[in-house]
Amino acid sequence: MSKRQLAMVMDLNKCIGCQTCTVACKTQWTNRNGREYMYWNNVETYPGTGYPKNWMELGGGFDAAGDLQAGVVPNIEADYGVPWDYNHDELQFGEQLKPNVDPTWGPNWDEDEGTGNFPSDNYFFYIPRICNHCTNPGCLSACPRDAIFKRDQDGVVLVDLDRCQGYRYCIAGCPYKKIYFNPKISKSEKCILCFPRVEKGLPPACAQQCVGRIRFVGFLDDEEGQVYKLVHKYKVALPLRSDYGTQPNVYYVPPTEAPPKFDAEGRVIEGSNRVPIEELEKLFGKEVHQAMKTLREEKEKRKKTGESELMDILIAYQHSEMFRLDQDYYQSIAKKQGLSLAPIDNRYMQGKNTENKYKFKVVEYE
Amino acid sequence: MNKLTTALLASSLVASAAFAEDAVLAQKTDRDVTQLTPTSKAWEYVKATTIHLYPQTTVTMNDKKANAVNKDAKAKEARVKAIYDNKNIAFLLEWPDGTKSVQKGYRSDVYGDGFAVQLPVNYKDPKKLPYIGMGSDGRPVVIHLQKAVEAVYEPNGNGNVGDQQVVLNKNMFGDEVKAYEAKVAKLAVRDYQRSFISEGFRSMTEIKDGSEKFSADMSYGNKAWKGTVVRPLKDAYLSLKGGFPVAFAAWDGAKMNRDGLKLLSTWIPVKLVGQSGGEKLVSELSAPVKGDAENGKNLVMQNGCMGCHYIPGMSEPGYMAPGLANIGGYSTAAYLRESMVDPNAVVVPGYNRNAHPNTPWYNEVDGKRQSTMPPYPLDDKSLDDMVAYLKTLKAEVK
Ligand code: SF4
Ligand code: SF4
Repeated sequence: MSKRQLAMVMDLNKCIGCQTCTVACKTQWTNRNGREYMYWNNVETYPGTGYPKNWMELGGGFDAAGDLQAGVVPNIEADYGVPWDYNHDELQFGEQLKPNVDPTWGPNWDEDEGTGNFPSDNYFFYIPRICNHCTNPGCLSACPRDAIFKRDQDGVVLVDLDRCQGYRYCIAGCPYKKIYFNPKISKSEKCILCFPRVEKGLPPACAQQCVGRIRFVGFLDDEEGQVYKLVHKYKVALPLRSDYGTQPNVYYVPPTEAPPKFDAEGRVIEGSNRVPIEELEKLFGKEVHQAMKTLREEKEKRKKTGESELMDILIAYQHSEMFRLDQDYYQSIAKKQGLSLAPIDNRYMQGKNTENKYKFKVVEYE
Repeated sequence: MNKLTTALLASSLVASAAFAEDAVLAQKTDRDVTQLTPTSKAWEYVKATTIHLYPQTTVTMNDKKANAVNKDAKAKEARVKAIYDNKNIAFLLEWPDGTKSVQKGYRSDVYGDGFAVQLPVNYKDPKKLPYIGMGSDGRPVVIHLQKAVEAVYEPNGNGNVGDQQVVLNKNMFGDEVKAYEAKVAKLAVRDYQRSFISEGFRSMTEIKDGSEKFSADMSYGNKAWKGTVVRPLKDAYLSLKGGFPVAFAAWDGAKMNRDGLKLLSTWIPVKLVGQSGGEKLVSELSAPVKGDAENGKNLVMQNGCMGCHYIPGMSEPGYMAPGLANIGGYSTAAYLRESMVDPNAVVVPGYNRNAHPNTPWYNEVDGKRQSTMPPYPLDDKSLDDMVAYLKTLKAEVK
């Protein structure tokens, strides 16, 4: 476990599935050099196949006894989708618009499909997913090379590209399939929680760019922070599939605000909710009942009295309050290490922890 | 235990009790061995030694599909040759592989064939050689690895992948970008050929400062791979004289082999023909195992080894302790004996460090691994018999 843990909360009631976060991350980190197919951040439709395809069935994580479970390494073509591009430049010369590869699958292939019958009870909602920077990461546990590490300073889980030899057991070990194989460099890569930004006081790109302002970022031990309040004080933000045993550090406010169902005549069924509670329970555990109760009660309270700290937080007035990155903390670490500027950790970039790890004296034979 | 396995075990006891790997005789030459490739004519004049490569089953990997295809993996017979000159030694490993697998293209789940040569830094005491699986604490090994990976993109040509180009405006700088990319590709695309220093699973560290000069090559034909490794007899890591041990590993990409999923030999003695020294090591490593395997089996049962270890026919594979299904194939008799008398001498680190917290096979005390296995200081005869039995635990040769 790390000394402190940086965490993210995402309010699913406000996610509109616009993929701005996806694009923010992609343009920042993954549009090049073998990462093209990777989505460190993706927004998937639930229910749906997700990304990679049926990731919840691909194994990894831990059982109740704490034993790592075997998992599967997905295939780019069938499970992630080969990225394709269009010949936009050629359209002006009279060419037909066509993709450069024959698309057979891709992330969000089934976007907005959902389930149920239109218009009576169909439904879906969006789940944005990034690496959970787990407290007990399946990826780290699976690595036979000690190439994955969890930063002591803030719990960010990173791949040391110098130690990584591209064996891909981490991908099998992560139950969220949020670590990917880069075929060009033959190594694994994943969301880095934008640590180079965070260390300089900037929020992760996906959170900064989010138009719905659904993302809160801060330290879990910062009791003044909104992340702490949502997770620990009000307990309305819950980890996704905590039954996988990795103790994820991305939390979700469950979707409470779904429209009611319609009856055969197209009339509203009062008090009904299109999102089945069993589905929410599967994703967020039994705690989801209490979380939804709290959310509704606070909403009522706000309606009646005009006051509710929880509702104020969820309205997300100020970025400065949503993102509490404790820059002084990073600065003080940097200072202690004699660095005038972040980053405080250069292992990710240079594999510094592997250098001079072993110093040998050759054994002489006479 | 079902009848079939009992019968198989009983018959293998007889067949393999006397079995040990022969020494590789490295021939001396005046020519420069650094010129040797897998297909060089010179190899035809050197006698081959047959060795065996066993499935590594000490620790269970966590890839579901790979575990399924390797479930009943068999051992393979391979051939080794060696030639040395004044400065360098060249090894040739020839091993059967029905499918040529190369890791290439924009794919996440293909794996290349490959092979490795392992050499101990210290081999003075044949009874205290490094653990066969990538060395052990205080007993380092040097590993030379060659994999059939088409190209690895490392933009500064120096194994540093952190340093990557960003191409943002293709329209405006199209030609310059193309030229730049070509330049980077030329610099960056390199062979997957690496040397490591290692003191046990998880500690293997690439030697990237150029202090280990070796070359390797692989060539496929007639449903078999031939691989060569040429390295100095003496450098900053190793001094190879007289007689010394070597071990080989092979990966089958078609069976999703990589890292621990591989075939592995035991320590094979090498004799530099024409040089004195190392006779004791060579004779000890190639000596047949003494002891009564049948009695050893009873002792293993009486002492309850299968309570923690996986022993085919006696227990199921699990997490509690290193699996012994192929221990007889890749371990030396001396190692097996040492492990029973002093389990702390070599503690095999589990692959999945945090994976089985309730049944750890070692605890870390002051940064040193302490085995949870108690010592078994039995009498010499009992130990010999148990070692003789453990040496029979190995997959059949296909
Ligand atoms: S979500 Fe997956 S990749 Fe991220 S820390 Fe957890 S196990 Fe590792
Ligand atoms: S935190 Fe940064 S790296 Fe991670 S998904 Fe968001 S934008 Fe991408």
